[in-house]
Amino acid sequence: MPIVTIDGRQIEVEQGVSVIQAADRLGVEIPRFCYHPDLRPEGNCRMCLVEVDGFPKPVVACATPVVDGMVVKTPHTSPVASRAARGVLEFLLVNHPLDCPICDQAGECSLQDFYMHPDYGQHRSHVDPEEKIHKRKRVNLGPRIVLDAERCVMCSRCVRFSEEVSGYAELQFVRRGNHVELTAFEDRVLEDPYAGNLADVCPVGALTSRDFRFKRRVWHLSHTDSVCAGCSTGCNVRIDHFDGHIERVVPRRNPEVNRSWICDEGRLSYQSLTSIPRLTHPREGDRRLLWAEAIALAHETLHSAGAVTGLPLAALASASATNESLWLFRQYVEVAFPQHLLEFRLGREMETVAEREDKLLRRADKHPNTMGALHLGYGRGLGLKGLLDLAEKGELSRLLMLYYPPLVGQEAEETKERIAGLLARVPESVVLTTHELPYLTGAKLLLPVAAWSEEEGTYTNHQGVTQHVGKAISLREAVRPATDILGDLWQVATAARRETAPERLFREIAMSVPAFRGLSYAGLESRAATVYPPEGRMHYGQEGFAGR
Amino acid sequence: MARKASRVVDVRRAAEARTDVLSTAAGTLAGMEVTLRNMVRATVGREHVTIQYPEQRKPYSRRFRGVHVLTHRADGSLKCTACYLCETVCPAQCITIEAKDVDDPRVEKAPSRYEIDLARCIFCGFCVEACPEEALIMSREYDLTAITRGPETLTYGIDRLTERPEIAAYGAGFRPHMQYPLVESYLPGEGPEKAAAEE
Repeated sequence: MPIVTIDGRQIEVEQGVSVIQAADRLGVEIPRFCYHPDLRPEGNCRMCLVEVDGFPKPVVACATPVVDGMVVKTPHTSPVASRAARGVLEFLLVNHPLDCPICDQAGECSLQDFYMHPDYGQHRSHVDPEEKIHKRKRVNLGPRIVLDAERCVMCSRCVRFSEEVSGYAELQFVRRGNHVELTAFEDRVLEDPYAGNLADVCPVGALTSRDFRFKRRVWHLSHTDSVCAGCSTGCNVRIDHFDGHIERVVPRRNPEVNRSWICDEGRLSYQSLTSIPRLTHPREGDRRLLWAEAIALAHETLHSAGAVTGLPLAALASASATNESLWLFRQYVEVAFPQHLLEFRLGREMETVAEREDKLLRRADKHPNTMGALHLGYGRGLGLKGLLDLAEKGELSRLLMLYYPPLVGQEAEETKERIAGLLARVPESVVLTTHELPYLTGAKLLLPVAAWSEEEGTYTNHQGVTQHVGKAISLREAVRPATDILGDLWQVATAARRETAPERLFREIAMSVPAFRGLSYAGLESRAATVYPPEGRMHYGQEGFAGR
Repeated sequence: MARKASRVVDVRRAAEARTDVLSTAAGTLAGMEVTLRNMVRATVGREHVTIQYPEQRKPYSRRFRGVHVLTHRADGSLKCTACYLCETVCPAQCITIEAKDVDDPRVEKAPSRYEIDLARCIFCGFCVEACPEEALIMSREYDLTAITRGPETLTYGIDRLTERPEIAAYGAGFRPHMQYPLVESYLPGEGPEKAAAEE
């Protein structure tokens, strides 16, 4: 395999790897606009020019394959490459508007970062602001994207994304020279269900997200690595939040799961956490309870009725719960109730878990952890339908349910009716849920649990890849994580304390469940070492280089 | 060599022995020289060194860092573009901004909410220095008092930062960007005509 020397450091790479990819693996940052690891290299921005020994002129690192014995010098070490990058940058800045203070991209903008870089930035522009060529601003490209043509650097990442990845091919450049401008055909709005990614691939502020528009300056945001809970694909995301509110969700690059993309539904799924009222306190009918009362009442409810009638307990945990919650749920049910029916299926999760909705990412199963539930021994019972049939025959008297409404789309009408029917027919029911939902009002006792982004844990996606889900925002009012509540119930039932920290629970799972053998919680957290922006570019002033 | 026998002196008693009424009074009067001079000036010459605050007030420096003012453009719209630079630089974290889209094609964004918690503000003036548009300046208003803390008293929103009678009464204070000719921003009640007439 070829061995290449970049800035005095050697690396061995496979045949066909480009210089910029080899540099990324070494952690040597080469400035770039048009190169993106998940798009075809085009070599049009000329920002990644490097000096190669034996070549008469600088070459583009993104479109030059590595040859054995190649000696590459980047702008960090080579005056030739540095001068080339400076020249490209100056051309790009000639007509770039002085928008940084009002541009949403400022703070994560490649142009801004490169301009500030000591090795190839910091030149002064010689253009009078009055003489700059003006183009269209604030062009509405549909519900997700706003175009500012003046800020565009013509890297064509967006054009290639819409051609190669989503296949909608709605964007194109028109005119020539200084007047080149990005446009959608006939200025129609974008219909692409993956259009939100255009704002992520854009290295500058030309394409920005309408949802995130003017919400926050990016340097105010705190970041939490997580996994989208919208469907069984399990796209890697980063939750950006400020002051306890999620401001946006952006994809992280994971070549095995979602590459650098995420669907718009998943991107906006965080909105459904707050668009419907949340369940904030434990509640029996309309009476608010303290947690101590609620736990005692839940225990009493679930045990007294069973002792009287001798019927089994129906335990139904949605596949939107984390592996840790499902594990503790199952253990609690098995320890506290000798006779039980354990189930996770509300609909056809088992059949639809890998069913694609489109050719890119979206899947029909809107539960993030169906595979996890299957691995943990759920799914051998009757399903929601079967439980409802039993309840109709009067053979169910108690129900413990852990229910999360889907983050993407609505719960199926059929499922809602079945849940409402089940709660109406079972006299003693305890429901752990996140939202105030009309079809859950039949429950005797409602306990508020933490939703996605409010608790830590792991999900196992349709491929069987287990991924870590971070806690981004703190719990509001009396909401508690499901694992804590189940731990309390365990304690009341067995008079023994139960460890409920997610990493401890995951260790138990890894020791007991074959599908999780060999995994460690810390390993899952570090495995997701991908970054946003997905191309692995280092931000100005950021310590180290987190690429790959 | 034999040491010379030392003599013990009681300092306090020695001082008391030398004290008399006259020298004590003289010392006190010497210490009150300035006070007495001003008393004589005030009573005889009617030259007062104190003022009858709050009915009377002294003029403060043109660079005084008092309560903030949001300036406006010639057409009366707010100059602020909601760039959040003041919020970013604020060491007391007392500025809260929310931005909105506006219809004006020349303007990208404007604040829908702009609040300064003056109970928290340390009047360092960083926000004014950070402002690229001279949209935020400081007035010479210094007597900021309230009986309670909270949003209704010392947290000033857009309305109080732009329109309050104190701005005209005290005048503009810290305004470091005024030297740049590109910056044209006006105080409440001021328009381009009035500003031109003053020059």
